[in-house]
Amino acid sequence: MKYLRTKRNLENYTVRSIPKSVLVKNSEGKTVINTDSPNYYYGTIPQFKVDNEGNYILNSFGQKIVNTIDINVYLTQKLDDMGIFTDKEYIPKDTLLTEKPNNFNSFTYGRLAGAPVDFYYKNTPQVSGNTDDSLLGQVKSYRKDPSGRDIYVPNLNTSNNPNEEFSGVINETTDKTVYKINANKNNIPNTGIEYTTFKNLFTTTKNEFGFNETYKTTIFSVLNSGWNQYNTSLKATIKKEEYLGVVFKPEVESVVFINRGIADIFERHSLLSEIKTTNDIDTNRGGFIRI
Amino acid sequence: MATGNYGTIRPADVSVQDIEMFYSYTPNRESITSVDLIPLNPIDVLVPATNPNNVTEIFGGLYTLKLPTAIFGTKGFYNIIIRPRQIRTTIQDCSVLVDNQDVKGIVFDINQIPLDLQNRFENGNLVGYRVEYLKEQTGTGQDKIQNLYRIITSNNRALPITQSQGNSNASVAYTFNDNSTSVFCTVSPSSAPSIKPNAVPFIGNPLQDVIITNTFFDPVMLEIEMVEFDDETLAYALFSNQTKSLEDGIYTIYNFGNQIYRQYNLYEVKDQFTGKPLFEVREQKFTIDPTKDFDDITNF
Repeated sequence: MKYLRTKRNLENYTVRSIPKSVLVKNSEGKTVINTDSPNYYYGTIPQFKVDNEGNYILNSFGQKIVNTIDINVYLTQKLDDMGIFTDKEYIPKDTLLTEKPNNFNSFTYGRLAGAPVDFYYKNTPQVSGNTDDSLLGQVKSYRKDPSGRDIYVPNLNTSNNPNEEFSGVINETTDKTVYKINANKNNIPNTGIEYTTFKNLFTTTKNEFGFNETYKTTIFSVLNSGWNQYNTSLKATIKKEEYLGVVFKPEVESVVFINRGIADIFERHSLLSEIKTTNDIDTNRGGFIRI
Repeated sequence: MATGNYGTIRPADVSVQDIEMFYSYTPNRESITSVDLIPLNPIDVLVPATNPNNVTEIFGGLYTLKLPTAIFGTKGFYNIIIRPRQIRTTIQDCSVLVDNQDVKGIVFDINQIPLDLQNRFENGNLVGYRVEYLKEQTGTGQDKIQNLYRIITSNNRALPITQSQGNSNASVAYTFNDNSTSVFCTVSPSSAPSIKPNAVPFIGNPLQDVIITNTFFDPVMLEIEMVEFDDETLAYALFSNQTKSLEDGIYTIYNFGNQIYRQYNLYEVKDQFTGKPLFEVREQKFTIDPTKDFDDITNF
């Protein structure tokens, strides 16, 4: 719990105006205040806001406005991630739906009993953007032209897995090279990422060190993103208590330099430095040293 | 990739309906009476700020306390507690799911929840709420079981199903059903540690009263010291306009708006026999003389 302290001066809310309408003459002919007047609030903090004439200030609805002492507070919510979800198999409804409800949106509609997984698939428009020409080298031929320049041969598959994937040029013109990276060999037009590198256009950007980098202007585009059979499944999601607080799946790193305890190559040398007398040879480390 | 937990502190955008407030008053810090907490209705006194770029959107974090002067207009110390709203109800049942007998949970009856709070018990809405327990036997001192709470990790409407256990026995387990008025809540911790499988954590008993609290924001305690003077009012005495009426000895101090702030009678106390002046007195005058209006005096 946060503990906040603040101070307010009541004088800021105290009425100090004396309207002329509350002034009367007493029997001695002296001007005094009619303290019984409903417009007299001097020295008090009224329940509702009043103006200098002692009249209530009304809001747009003609209602009196409650006189309040306004203090700003800042409320926050502290969150700790409870950890990763775990998939859990569930028993689906026997009869699956065949048609989506009108305007079905899985993100707002939520889980729908009997809905097959493909109800939740969602294509997105083509993703495209600009990038550098660093992948152009992957699709070049090993051959060079007579001037020593790279050759880009259409349909030459330069993939490391040519039996399944296609990476290579699909169109080569005088001003641009169009190529695909990691397309399905049997469905090249609709898979993989398509790059178009322009031969005579250049883009200059600043790298992370602030230096200019210039490369051939390249655009990329890709189809078939969104939610699909490769990244969507219907499972119940639970949080196992043993994973509370574990945000990512554990990853084991290979430790190259392993500390093997006393079996260290320097151990023998450091051991001798502990020997000061001949008795130490017998007693050091409980007779560890044998002569 | 890494293993660990992460968190953040975000501006709360909690609804005022999910907040409850209390205040206490003491005229000074030395008061030895016990603290009496008085409820405040947050709907009346707490106003969330709206986003200036979108007036239909809560700004988040910033709330304005509008304390009515009818309650908070006295010199002294007010302590205001702003905390998540509590829902009091009774555990209807404690059981397991039909298809997952190792998933234990507590069951609430939505019909026992106040109408304006029943939507909090819809599927998934109670996740993150805190459950605190009351003693099953009242009149044994403190009614609340102190230092014990559980966090709700899921809630779903569920229907009780009777399962035969043989030997003429039967037990009730629950299956999710959105048409039911019972809500099955899993809480954490609820499973036994692997080193002591029989040590199942306490999650409640049927018919036990509980307090369910949202965790939409961190509670705040605000101490407001109401004072009569500050630097500004002290400056009136030093730098603002003043008048001294030579006819009747009324000494008037005005605020920076030339309104009468204080009036004093100035007079001398003399020896009644010798007429020797003994004291010069400045005595506060509580009946204000309105003829000492500064603008009237200086408008010549």
